[in-house]
Amino acid sequence: MLKTSRAQKFIKSKVFILLILLVLEVVVFTILSQGLYVSIINIRNILNSIVITAFLTVGAVLLMVRGYVDISASAVGCFTTMMVATLLAAGMPWPIAILFCLIASGVVGFVNAVLITECGFQPFIVTMAMAQVLKGLQYIIFGTNRIDIKDPTMVALGTQRIGGLVPYTLVLALICIIVYGFILSKTYFGKSIYMIGGNPQAAKLAGFNPKKMAYILFINDSILAGLAGCLLAFRMKAGALDSITNGQFTGMTGAILGGVSFGGGTGGMFGAFIGMLVISGFKTGLTLLAVPPWWMTFGSGALLLFALAFDRFASFRRTKS
Amino acid sequence: MAQETEVKTSVMNNGSQGLTLEVDNISKSFPGVKALQNVSFKATSGKVLALLGENGAGKSTLLKVLSGDIRPDEGEVRINGVPQKFDAPVQAIQAGVSVIYQERQLVPSMSVIENIYCGDLPSTKAGILRKREMKQTAEKIISDFGLDIDPYEKLGRLSTAHQQMVEIMKAYRRDSKIIAFDEPTASLTDTEVTILFDLIKRLKEEGKIILYVSHRLAEIFQITDEIVVLKDGRMVKQLNTAETNEAELIKAMVGRDIGDTYSALKRNDKIGDVLLEVKNLTTDAIHDVSFTLHRGEIVGFAGLVGAGRTEVVRAIFGADPIKSGEVILDGETVHFKQPKDAIEAGIALCPEDRKEQGLIRFRSVQDNVCLPVFQKMKKGLILDRKKQEALTEKAIEKYSIRTPSLEKLVVELSGGNQQKVILGRWTSELLTTKLLILDEPTKGIDVGTKAEIYQILCDLAREGKGVIFISSELPEVINIADTIIVMHNGHVTGTLARADATEEKVMSLAMLD
Ligand SMILES: Nc1ncnc2c1ncn2[C@@H]1O[C@H](COP(=O)(O)OP(=O)(O)OP(=O)(O)O)[C@@H](O)[C@H]1O
Ligand SMILES: [Mg+2]
Repeated sequence: MLKTSRAQKFIKSKVFILLILLVLEVVVFTILSQGLYVSIINIRNILNSIVITAFLTVGAVLLMVRGYVDISASAVGCFTTMMVATLLAAGMPWPIAILFCLIASGVVGFVNAVLITECGFQPFIVTMAMAQVLKGLQYIIFGTNRIDIKDPTMVALGTQRIGGLVPYTLVLALICIIVYGFILSKTYFGKSIYMIGGNPQAAKLAGFNPKKMAYILFINDSILAGLAGCLLAFRMKAGALDSITNGQFTGMTGAILGGVSFGGGTGGMFGAFIGMLVISGFKTGLTLLAVPPWWMTFGSGALLLFALAFDRFASFRRTKS
Repeated sequence: MAQETEVKTSVMNNGSQGLTLEVDNISKSFPGVKALQNVSFKATSGKVLALLGENGAGKSTLLKVLSGDIRPDEGEVRINGVPQKFDAPVQAIQAGVSVIYQERQLVPSMSVIENIYCGDLPSTKAGILRKREMKQTAEKIISDFGLDIDPYEKLGRLSTAHQQMVEIMKAYRRDSKIIAFDEPTASLTDTEVTILFDLIKRLKEEGKIILYVSHRLAEIFQITDEIVVLKDGRMVKQLNTAETNEAELIKAMVGRDIGDTYSALKRNDKIGDVLLEVKNLTTDAIHDVSFTLHRGEIVGFAGLVGAGRTEVVRAIFGADPIKSGEVILDGETVHFKQPKDAIEAGIALCPEDRKEQGLIRFRSVQDNVCLPVFQKMKKGLILDRKKQEALTEKAIEKYSIRTPSLEKLVVELSGGNQQKVILGRWTSELLTTKLLILDEPTKGIDVGTKAEIYQILCDLAREGKGVIFISSELPEVINIADTIIVMHNGHVTGTLARADATEEKVMSLAMLD
């Protein structure tokens, strides 16, 4: 029986290509910015910018491996920035305030899952509608004013850095990625997501429960987004509207770059994480070079297309040889 | 419109007299496999040429080369002496080659008409579909085939057999000079097979070249004129059907004699107590189905397509809702809400449609074999890799699955080998099965392995397990099963013991009105 060694497999994987891309990116931006790209200030910027995206990426990867999408994640995050700020301002102790936010987020995920599994609606449509509902509710409930957060513990959690460089929130995000990455690649639960995502009918006939899985994944995705929202509020020391705009798209783009497909059943957490780094690094690079925002949007889209084309080409070469 | 088609056909006919197809020195490799090695043969018009070989011998790959789906590493294909270079299936179709693939290539959410036209929908210059023309032609084709199919029905709602027939209609409509069939009968029952064979005879008389792949030797003798035998990607020999016999073919294909399959079986002779009792089971598709199965017994289900055999086992397995009736397993009335419950109670179901219900196509062979038993492979928090590998290796050995590695994506295996993966999955020793249900398990499986599968069924029976065996190949059911249940239109129309069962008796029960 032919066995490919781990190293061989790694070199053939998308993750390897991405790592090369990441290195290239750092080199190019460093040259273009005359070294500013690797300065402490910029590294702090990059590290800051990936925290929220990381949480959204984790949820998105799990859903996408199952073959679902959740467009409402950013809206959930925005909602909880306002909610946590309001609750704290009302004098609620922080553990309880966070808990309420997570419960509220979980409810959103639950409703998404009900509409998708019980009524058979398309995830894309359901969550798109849900995103709008939440946006509206956010204005209706919390108004449009900025709400300051004064709780010292939470402000500290949101703003302080280990050694002045690595934000505490980033540590939380990394732990989250590692834990979920482990679950996805090594455990029975993770395997079930791949199997159900690969072919729900076959998996069901083999004793899996696709319905239950949909509930778990949507609730999980919303809770992660809710948590990200809270952490963002702590960092900004306030709840502000439109704080996470389309963060889940960055997450999804990262995941796709990393080899997670829309069809479900493929890809992994590590690849998605690297993919997300590539995108975040790219965006920060463009900001640093003072590229106008519309060029940044253009650039992120172009990067994804480029990576997809590159991967296609590479795998084409692979099958030819 | 009808006239137009006729004119077109007759022009094509003149064109296809004296037609030749030469496959010259074709080679094709995939990572870890040489699928074809220097294969050469020639086919002439008005003849049906069979491609014969074990699972993974390279038959489908060869047809994919002809259809422009795969580019060969070496060699060329010539039509009437002119070398053809197909970069895409469209070019092959334009050159007059149609291939009906082993895996259906249809769109389940579209109507029968749209599927028949899939690929080149006729439209006006302004780009508007010519719906009336489509409908008329589709209706004509359906009636040419003598089938009762509503052209507006969504394809996904048709039976597997009728879907397969639509696939054939698609190629028939194109009116190609060269038509290749890759295991067309694997999911058909006798009625459609008869229709198909009449059609092939007609096409042959019209002077077309027909290539025909099948693992059913009886069919090969029935309709083919010449045979090309492939083994491990190489051409073994080309011979005239009239001048050969089964034994010679099997020997060329497998490389050894396998003797008479059925009489060589070591059967179970100790039938035990009752294991499963089904009483008046009724669902949307079946009515009042009752039967009993004992430990160590193989119960076979025969019947035409749509007779409700698959629906019976799906209902027992908890995959379809039951309206009324009772299922008693081991003396206890059970009511499975989902397949999971049935599996936990000791039932395994190997489903009929491997692409839709069996395989996780873009996952590895290993994942596909271990699918129902992952839960039993937990080692602390993680899944035990070694256990998975061991189980998969066993399945590969037991069914001689041809794969270069455990990690190969199952979609890249040959059709028969995919089927073996599913069989391996449902017969693994980690499943503590009391009752094994197999729905068309030998679909697409080569002769040698078929014999092995029969023996595995008998072995399971000898271990005291119950086996339900559904098959549309009559000889197989009446020779393997101890009891044969015949169904028609959702009802059980008869139960026969193996000793009394003949093909005629079963057929007359299956067609009962
Ligand atoms: N796309 C692919 N990628 C990798 N390997 C492939 C691919 N398609 C076919 N193969 C390999 O090529 C070999 C020949 O396969 P092929 O499908 O031609 O067999 P076959 O004769 O049609 O068998 P069967 O009777 O089971 O349908 C097999 O070993 C198969 O695994
Ligand atoms: Mg094949």
